[in-house]
Amino acid sequence: MFLRQREPLSFDRSVSGKRGMDLPKLDVPEAKDTRPAHLRRSGFDALPELSEVEVIRHFTRLSKWNYGVDDGIYPLGSCTMKHNPRLNEKVAGLPGFTDSHPMAPDALVQGNLEMIYTLQEWLKEITGLPGVTLQPSAGAAGELTGVMLIRAYHVSKGAKRRVILIPDSGHGTNPATAAMAGYEVVELPSLPDGTIAFDDVTDPVNGKVRKGLRTLVSELGTEIAGAMITNPNTVGVFEYRFKEVSDLLHSVGALVYMDGANMNALVGVARPGDFGVDVMHLNLHKTMSTPHGGGGPGAGPVCCGENLMPFLPVPVVVRDTVKVGEGEVPRHSYRWDWKRPQSIGKVHTFYGNFGILVRALTYCLSHGSDGLKEATLRAIVNANYIRARLKGAYALHIDSPSLHEVVFSDTLQAKHDVHTLDIAKRLIDHGYHPPTIYFPLIVPGALMIEPTESEDKGELDAFCDTMLAIAKEAETDAEALHQAPTLAPLRRMDETTAARKPVLRWAKG
Amino acid sequence: MRYLPSSPVEDRALLDTIGVARAEELLAGIPEALRLKRDLDLPTQGSEQEVAWEMMGLANKNTRFCAQFLGAGAYDHFVPSAIDAMVSRQEWFTAYTPYQPEISQGTLQHIFEYQTLICDLAGLDVTNASLYDGGTACVETALMAVRVAKKRNTVLVSRGLHPLYREVLKTNFAPHDDLQLVEVGLKNGVTDLADLQAKLNGDVAAVMVGYPNFLGAVEDLTALAGPVHAAGALLVSVTQEALAFGWLEAPGKAGADMACGEAMSFGNKPTFGGPFLGFLAVKDAHKREIPGRVVGQTKDLEGRTGYVLTLTAREQHIRRDKATSNICSNQGLVALRANIFLQLAGPEGLRGLAEQNAAKAQYLRQRLLELPDMEPVDDPPFFNEFVLRYRGDMAALQEACLAESLLPGLDLGRFYPEYEGCILWCATELHTRRMIESLVEILARVPATV
Repeated sequence: MFLRQREPLSFDRSVSGKRGMDLPKLDVPEAKDTRPAHLRRSGFDALPELSEVEVIRHFTRLSKWNYGVDDGIYPLGSCTMKHNPRLNEKVAGLPGFTDSHPMAPDALVQGNLEMIYTLQEWLKEITGLPGVTLQPSAGAAGELTGVMLIRAYHVSKGAKRRVILIPDSGHGTNPATAAMAGYEVVELPSLPDGTIAFDDVTDPVNGKVRKGLRTLVSELGTEIAGAMITNPNTVGVFEYRFKEVSDLLHSVGALVYMDGANMNALVGVARPGDFGVDVMHLNLHKTMSTPHGGGGPGAGPVCCGENLMPFLPVPVVVRDTVKVGEGEVPRHSYRWDWKRPQSIGKVHTFYGNFGILVRALTYCLSHGSDGLKEATLRAIVNANYIRARLKGAYALHIDSPSLHEVVFSDTLQAKHDVHTLDIAKRLIDHGYHPPTIYFPLIVPGALMIEPTESEDKGELDAFCDTMLAIAKEAETDAEALHQAPTLAPLRRMDETTAARKPVLRWAKG
Repeated sequence: MRYLPSSPVEDRALLDTIGVARAEELLAGIPEALRLKRDLDLPTQGSEQEVAWEMMGLANKNTRFCAQFLGAGAYDHFVPSAIDAMVSRQEWFTAYTPYQPEISQGTLQHIFEYQTLICDLAGLDVTNASLYDGGTACVETALMAVRVAKKRNTVLVSRGLHPLYREVLKTNFAPHDDLQLVEVGLKNGVTDLADLQAKLNGDVAAVMVGYPNFLGAVEDLTALAGPVHAAGALLVSVTQEALAFGWLEAPGKAGADMACGEAMSFGNKPTFGGPFLGFLAVKDAHKREIPGRVVGQTKDLEGRTGYVLTLTAREQHIRRDKATSNICSNQGLVALRANIFLQLAGPEGLRGLAEQNAAKAQYLRQRLLELPDMEPVDDPPFFNEFVLRYRGDMAALQEACLAESLLPGLDLGRFYPEYEGCILWCATELHTRRMIESLVEILARVPATV
């Protein structure tokens, strides 16, 4: 249990006089103090004094308390944790990329510009949409950029429009994004199968009627700027009436935003540009295997139709073809185009999370057109395998065909007073990272499992066997599940006190 | 296929269990008419070696330099070897958002430590688990200031703020008809106090000033805080070069109510502008309005100390369109680099590095001023960047530097017409005396007139 020793906060280990970094000898005269006296740094309250070996041991020990994709299956539905190839990391660390300065003249960063251009070409072909910006730093930043494109489009037509429609099954970021882009959100109800309701829906419990898409479109009409629709939706089901949804919205001049967080289910199989999407974002850490680093950085490129291209954020990378002799391969040069009068402006200080984009292109080149489609199909097969093996032991709240992820509910286990959280925590005792829990909100006690294409049959079977054993345990020994996890470094955390009496930083005791 | 682990035999077994003959049958939920009927028109898969060559080819097309005298929001600093070694541990880089705290304590404790360090540097009480970058951090801060100030709808932005941060602010304010961004002019390279006072009124929620600003100048936060607070507004400091915190007083102690900016300088390379590290620190009273992720300390079932994502009631998955922001990720791994960097440096390392930056920049300025075509413009205190006017041919200067593998400072005319013919120079601890002298020698040879 040596590796399970408690690792204190580094601040508590600080000893005056230690240092983990030394400086080169100063070969110029010492700095003159030009600061006004009241702006001189007075001191530090927390910065620890530690040696290099202590810092390395600290972060090594802390790392051992983390579960990563290399430890095993990481079945977070909708968050999509696939294998993170080492080649991506190696390439992203090439000094040619890491040393390059974002303010350097275009002629000096041709490799970067070509990299960006090439990745854009891949995303255009994958999505079937002709416009791309790689600048949003995360999926949610992509959403915001996309909705601002919609706004700029309507403003250019002389109308503001005030409403964005969002299904109740949508990602939580969608309504927040629409609000940040200055829109009112009107909720679209879902049907029991998780797809968008065209007709009004009557709540079986309270008898309340919720207006369906058709009613909302006829009542709100040209007040609707657009709709944000996650597809495949958050229950892992393709919105099979997507084309009808698009046509209906387009009939009142509204635009269609597709939340492409689940695009990894469609790459090589279907293209949003072919079914009426005007604008969408992709989460590269999901679709293109860029690592998520415990929360980020991500990258959320936005792809759009021709109607929205004039509004793309500045700058836009442009390829110029240099004329050469007959029969020779044409040469290209690349530059940033900043003069785009209808652009929404800048969405990132420079050009987005470039290092993440390098990893994404590396992934694309490694897979190629054939491998990308193969990966999609295998991700779908893996999700359906889990669905087939766990069906019966866990309740399938929605029985529509699953794509890349499958959502179960805890209704069978709830009879024994075992709930989603207990199942998740018990998985930890068995050495697995739990799936996404309690999302989507439209499925009671949701357990959303997404294995991705990275798992082989052995890993899938071991995971399924464990899930089945836990289902059995729920019938025979519910108490054991309530106690879980017992083998993790820590047990259930008191999140209520954390929020009521927040302690958000260390302070000298 | 090296990334797809199932063998054909295993695949067959999976499909048999599912009860389909071919994987394509599982696409039944996608209407036939909406499916792609052809292969993607892209190159087919490449081996590891082929892909590595292709990507190296791209990296090699970028020009490399012996020294870069360009900062302007992206700084080249020394990165201790321990950082790359630590961050390349899979437990850090292949982990996801710490939704399951029992097996994510590494990430959570790291963020708690990172939060502590950012609060220390900023001299404020509360921060979050990081934001995308300096520009977007300005947006989150400005929107937060408007929420906090209630019924005040104007944000004053100093012209000394990074011009691209101002662009990002403009983009994000555009959809809000009720909100206003108003620019405050510069005088002697720093925010013009008279212009500021003229524009301060009862509708101003916050005033944002660079610290140091884009021109490298140190704004006197304390002097600005008086009038800003008297008008009932919040003073926000925006720092694009966080290493300055080793030299300058913490903004919270110098009068700022909020501090935000860019902390890429802690353990990161310029990488063409990203991934970078946005930060935002505020006073305790404002903690429930802060956007993004926050980690808090708590106990587990057995009373052991641990960490969790907290204050989630502000976030989109609960408040949806009423959330404080749509942000739901952070720059975890970049923040980790900053955390390790700051722990290696400690107070003495950080102070020493900052002093070296100031010394190198002062020496660079002094040497450049020996050239007949260089002259001072403003004379405010600066940290590691400063502005000089160049009387010679800017293009010739650029060409001469590039020919010797030196990247000169930024031609300011592109962003500030009033500084046409001026260059923003930067020096860090990476610049040796020899590099500075080569630069001066090269510039001395540039023809004086066109």
